[in-house]
Amino acid sequence: MNFAPRGRGGGGRGASRGFSASRGGGARGGTRGGFGGGRGAPRGGRGDSRGGRGGRGGRGAPRGGRGGARGGAKVVVVCSLVVLMPYKSNCLKEAFPRHSGVFVARGKEDMLLTKNLTPGESVYGEKRITIDTPASSATGDGNAVTTKTEYRVWNPFRSKLAAGILGGLENIYIKPGAKVLYLGAASGTSVSHVADIVGPTGIVFAVEFSHRSGRDLINMATHRTNVIPIIEDARHPLRYRMLVSMVDVIFADVAQPDQARIVGLNAHMYLKEKGGVLISIKANCIDSTAAPEEVFAREVQKMREEKIKPKEQLTLGKYKFSL
Amino acid sequence: MTLFILTETSAGYALLKASSRKILKRKDSTEEAFSEQDTCNLLKLKQFQKFDKSQTATNESTAIIEGKVSPLLASLLDTLKSEKAASLAVADPKLGNAINKIPSLKIEVISDSSTADVYRAIRTHLSSLIPGLFPSDVSTMTLGLAHSLSRHKLKFSPDKVDIMIVQAIGLLDDLDKELNTYAMRVKEWYGWHFPEMSRIINDNLAYARVVINMGMRSNAVNADLTTILPEEIEAAVKAAAEVSMGTEITEEDLTNIKLLAEQVVEFTEFRQNLSNYLSARMTAIAPNLTMLVGELVGARLIAHAGSLMNLAKSPASTIQILGAEKALFRALKTKHDTPKYGLIFHASLIGQATGRNKGKIARMLATKAAIGLRVDAFAEGQGADVAEEERLALAVESRAKIERRLRVLEGKPLLPKGVAVGPNGKLGSTPGKWEVKEARKYNPDADGLAGDEPAASVAKKPREKKRRRDGDDDVERTEGSKERNLEEEEEDEEMQDAEPVTPKVSSKSKLEANGTDSKKKSKKEAAEADERQYGAQAKELGISVKKYKKRLDQGKIKLDADGNPVVVSKKASRKSKRERSDAEGSEQEKSRKKKKENSEEKEKSKKRKEKGLSAA
Repeated sequence: MNFAPRGRGGGGRGASRGFSASRGGGARGGTRGGFGGGRGAPRGGRGDSRGGRGGRGGRGAPRGGRGGARGGAKVVVVCSLVVLMPYKSNCLKEAFPRHSGVFVARGKEDMLLTKNLTPGESVYGEKRITIDTPASSATGDGNAVTTKTEYRVWNPFRSKLAAGILGGLENIYIKPGAKVLYLGAASGTSVSHVADIVGPTGIVFAVEFSHRSGRDLINMATHRTNVIPIIEDARHPLRYRMLVSMVDVIFADVAQPDQARIVGLNAHMYLKEKGGVLISIKANCIDSTAAPEEVFAREVQKMREEKIKPKEQLTLGKYKFSL
Repeated sequence: MTLFILTETSAGYALLKASSRKILKRKDSTEEAFSEQDTCNLLKLKQFQKFDKSQTATNESTAIIEGKVSPLLASLLDTLKSEKAASLAVADPKLGNAINKIPSLKIEVISDSSTADVYRAIRTHLSSLIPGLFPSDVSTMTLGLAHSLSRHKLKFSPDKVDIMIVQAIGLLDDLDKELNTYAMRVKEWYGWHFPEMSRIINDNLAYARVVINMGMRSNAVNADLTTILPEEIEAAVKAAAEVSMGTEITEEDLTNIKLLAEQVVEFTEFRQNLSNYLSARMTAIAPNLTMLVGELVGARLIAHAGSLMNLAKSPASTIQILGAEKALFRALKTKHDTPKYGLIFHASLIGQATGRNKGKIARMLATKAAIGLRVDAFAEGQGADVAEEERLALAVESRAKIERRLRVLEGKPLLPKGVAVGPNGKLGSTPGKWEVKEARKYNPDADGLAGDEPAASVAKKPREKKRRRDGDDDVERTEGSKERNLEEEEEDEEMQDAEPVTPKVSSKSKLEANGTDSKKKSKKEAAEADERQYGAQAKELGISVKKYKKRLDQGKIKLDADGNPVVVSKKASRKSKRERSDAEGSEQEKSRKKKKENSEEKEKSKKRKEKGLSAA
């Protein structure tokens, strides 16, 4: 699993799209042109940041030559944080380009990470990685005070959002401090990672209708105070009007034939102007007889009618979800 | 004209006041969007009714979600009593209706989509609109309220009764599977010690019980199996144990086998209980569905849909193919015919239908089940106070209809119904269809009967028989037992006596009978002559008559020109046989070819026709 973000995956049935709701006059451009081809691995920009780490650079050196860096080094790494794993010499962690709050662990197998909001706890049995961080970028005299930071591994085969990030979404709108309305929260596995990303200053409103999954969601939310569990039908956003405030982004993974309408209703009520909408479309759930591409196009049209303009589209066929 | 706006937050109810209704016309997507300053100027807080406890918040929120006006909200709205010519904006139309019905309130309620943008603005600038309400407070209140609301929701889940059924049917299926594996394992394991027993006892439960009771097969004689097995099987087991070819096992092995057998017995009992529980539950929550499709199929349908409510909301076409999704979507994609039945196939009514009627009955049953389900799920006033018959009336009627329809489709006679039913359940003395019948005429053929004929035939027949038999005896056995002959004679005499007593058939048939009799007679005579000839010829060849006949039939003996029999050698006979078969084979081939040609021609003509049609 080496996931230098490049291009779109092969044609599958699932797709994740990023939308931006621009309710005002400020119309945005259409869909972005094909991304990915020219973008290199995030590793490309790592070299310069490594110098600041002080005396421990030597061990990281062998990793430098690893054959990533495809397509030139056009990428600008937002915040490059390269740290050695304490127990796995070949495991490095760095921030994911473009998406703050998301990290990558480099190793034999690359892994997507989010910073654990509740250190010492796994939500659904995922792996945790503890990394020593120099408290203030290693003081000169060598006895740097290190703090342990725990990260949780985010499996792109279990979460469409993770798959979307790895697939190369330009903007997921979910960032530290953001308020997220998460429709179709299910058991809260992905929600927990979103809660990690937004951090203690952000809020995730997790809406789930099924009582069975809702049980697990509530359990997860008891440990994360930035998750607000809502056991309601997302078709009736009025029913949770006393709980939800205006949000920056709506993530929808509801897999319903009328999901465009559902998202539209929620966006009209709760989405801030120029907020983001991420919607995962499973073509089979909307129309099993039509070709997937056709279904995607139809859904995009429906979203346009709801004044939500498409910005990027990504096929997640590479990641087979066990749904 | 003032406008009040009711806002529900997690901290309490807020009643905002706007100077005019014009605010509703503003759209936040236009230039005059609601900025913070703008909003605060336009809207003023009239009153804020705080929820004092988290319990209050939960109760109030539940009431709002259900669209009810709680006492707290009513008291808040009471302050608007004095207002004249004012209007109140409410977010939820359902709640708006409820407020409209408060008699003391003479205020116009607005709860349509025009309020959406104002509410967006309020939600955005809530903390600045309501002084003293800090964002941190709101978030903690929200978190607490969300958790308690969700917990409340899970606690009082409406479909908790269906969940029991869903779980029970799931367990029942699992148990069946497990039980079978365990029982097979017991048979396999104990079979090493006493292999014959699995042949004698087929029933899994009985087998396990015998294993527990008997233990080692050497113990079979002493074991008392009367409570488990019927006598003859018990005897068979005991007999088989004496001569079993199984290997010896140790006490320790037996202990483990017994433990497994006990599991089988326990599981079987549990399964029985579970199935009783399931049928009781099904008749309680979905009596009409159970009556139509049976409790197992009904429970599977509910389990598949998730809950009774979900199932009741689905159309009959969905109910018909529930469980055949894979086939359905495959058919939809490839534009083939969609499946005719899913889980409902196992209903007894469909089992009674044959062939193409299965699909028809499945469709009808699904429609009736859909109606019955709706009655089960949505009918009001269906408590314990309503009589069983009343609740079931619909299903009983529907079932009778389907059964009747099935009989029509299958071409079976219709079951009588209504007043025409006799006490035995069959058609009573109802006047049948009236038909014109031909009047009986005198039969002149009966007159042409010769007076002596019947008597002669009656007298002759047995004697003839006897003689033939005697002849047979003479030739074949050469010495027939006298006793048998005597017996036969006696029988014949009896028959003779009996003959005149037999009821008289119409004279015409008697005539016919006589005719056949005479024919038979001549045939018999011919056969006798043959027999005699065969006897002579057989003697010539030195073989018995039987053999001779057989060989003659097979063509191994041929008569030469003088009528003397000649035995054909085996080789020659085989040769002739082959020739014959070859000839037959070629003929068959020819006929086959002909057929093929015929069919091809037919197809061609068909195609031609089709072409012609399409061209036309």
